[in-house]
Amino acid sequence: MEKKENGKMPRKKIPLGGWAAGAVLALFLIVPLFIHNPYLLHIFVLVFLFAYLGTAWSLVAMAGQLSLGHAALMGIGGYVSTLMFMEWGVTPWLGMIVGGIFCGIIGVIIGYPTFRLRGPYFALTTIAFAEILRIYVENTEEGPLAIPLRGGMGLLVPLKGDAPGVFQFSTKEPYYYIALLMMLAAVGLSFFINRWRMGYYLAAIRSDQDAAEALAINSTKYKLIAMAISCVLTALGGTFYAQYFRYINPERAMGLSMSIEIALVGVVGGWQTVLGPTIGSILLSPSGELVRAYLGGTYAGLHLFLYGLLIMVVVLFMPNGLNDPLVRLFKRWDAGLRGPSGGPKDAFPPDPGRASPLPGRRES
Amino acid sequence: MDFELLASSFLMGLMLGGLYAAVAVGLSLIFGIIRVINFAHGAFLMVAMYASFWLWYFFGIDPYISTIPVAVLFFYFGYYVQKWLIRPIFIREKALVIEPLGVLLLTAGLDLVLSNLALLFFKSDPRAVVSPAASATIDLGFVDLNIPRFVVFILSFAIAGALYWLLNYTEKGIAIRSVGQNREAAALCGVNVYGIYNFTFGIGTAALALAGGAMVPFFYVTPSMGLSLGIKSFIVVVLGGLGSVPGALIGGLILGVVESVTAQFVMSTSSVIFSFLLFIVVLFTRPKGIMGVLET
Repeated sequence: MEKKENGKMPRKKIPLGGWAAGAVLALFLIVPLFIHNPYLLHIFVLVFLFAYLGTAWSLVAMAGQLSLGHAALMGIGGYVSTLMFMEWGVTPWLGMIVGGIFCGIIGVIIGYPTFRLRGPYFALTTIAFAEILRIYVENTEEGPLAIPLRGGMGLLVPLKGDAPGVFQFSTKEPYYYIALLMMLAAVGLSFFINRWRMGYYLAAIRSDQDAAEALAINSTKYKLIAMAISCVLTALGGTFYAQYFRYINPERAMGLSMSIEIALVGVVGGWQTVLGPTIGSILLSPSGELVRAYLGGTYAGLHLFLYGLLIMVVVLFMPNGLNDPLVRLFKRWDAGLRGPSGGPKDAFPPDPGRASPLPGRRES
Repeated sequence: MDFELLASSFLMGLMLGGLYAAVAVGLSLIFGIIRVINFAHGAFLMVAMYASFWLWYFFGIDPYISTIPVAVLFFYFGYYVQKWLIRPIFIREKALVIEPLGVLLLTAGLDLVLSNLALLFFKSDPRAVVSPAASATIDLGFVDLNIPRFVVFILSFAIAGALYWLLNYTEKGIAIRSVGQNREAAALCGVNVYGIYNFTFGIGTAALALAGGAMVPFFYVTPSMGLSLGIKSFIVVVLGGLGSVPGALIGGLILGVVESVTAQFVMSTSSVIFSFLLFIVVLFTRPKGIMGVLET
């Protein structure tokens, strides 16, 4: 799991950043061996889940599109698998895939009219879609085709005890490893997409759509592919959410605050980078959870207030997120370790393949 | 479905649409000139309504009077939000960016900050000004028309008309429109682009505050109300055409009528689905909106 920013370096040398990422991964793998406190494990699961969701979100961001309605897709994924389980007894493992496909189609339906347009249409549509879906589900006891949506009450996943076949476990450890695996898969997918031709297309589209189209890149098509992948992944995350909490309700799972939290880990860590959302989640999920757990009761809304403040600070002062300073730090250490042969100039090789941090920005 | 019910729901829809239009006009102006979506628009409205409410609650000032100083205050609020928060992003991304997404994120953060500050301080109790004027009605024969709602309806036309006049018949307005059409060319002609941006943001916010003050007598204000009205305004603005002031008026009226009339056929909570469907249909068929002025 090396950083994609080092793509220009010779293949054999694993940079320090790669070692660090590997070390963190190894740590994650062995954490449950010596931490048995369910609450601590729960925080780790949240870290992985939001890293996963943020990575899925960032796939669309890589195309230069800002989605502020990803919670809707997560909610749909969770609802589809849970409803199929409740009504027909279909195992959520299968419902997960159905929900994923369903959300992929929804993503294309949202993306198709909006990606052709310049301007904030996509962002507005995602927000409007998510909010209206939430309002609809909150107020609908029985949806079309007699689907029991149960309104704002939400759905309780029927308890089956320790039943791996239906995605239920009595301890936290299996969830821990599933979430870790999902996060690794998403980060890996994001890594490879960035290495593949598609990643370069997406980078080109977000830096300058006109120039990209002049080079015969079908911008709508690649945005749609990115959106579909992102939606499928987010829906799978929704099923995990429902199975992990054994409860899903529209207010939380489809609400704007969830959309913001998903986007936030990406923004803080560095949207449009492979490891950014993971870094953001490692930093934010524990702090958000602690604020909510210890202060949420007396000061409702405090954690969202802090999140809002954080978004503003990051957008104003650190538009590339935490990923870039970290990468630079590791490169500096790397250069230091490899001896003084390279001057400070060599420690910061210009990265021609690295796209601009914000869509449309041109490097002078 | 008898005619009388339909006619009254149509009229109610017009009143509601006036409210949507009054709220959305400022957003449309800001988008049209500065080309940024102010995500915190609904939160600004919420703050303005709280300001009117507290002025009434503590000092007994009628919202219809206090709305004018509040609007002036909000002009400066918007002015400095643009100057201190949004302008740095413009300067940073000043290359050829037309619509910096960073601003959308920033204002989304601002929205969270404002609405949760309101939640922390004012709690989530819905509040409204209780006054005899709030429940005054005119009997139109088939329906009783609530006067405060009618005031907002009239106000939406007044605000849109005033903005139209400002944009088309004053020197400042010509400068504003020139910046909206071509930032670089306007700058070359000696227009202070960022000054115009600050002014435009201030005017858009002041128009919003004016509408907010007139809404307080009948519209419950809660910390979370900004979001749903903000989203409705996005829909209105896209419907009418991003950046078009008359478009926002027409878009608002259409949305209000659609919501109100469909609510006669389905449960009123489900009628929001129709506003979204309308939004999608417009995006598919006429993305630049009814009065669209932007090339897409």
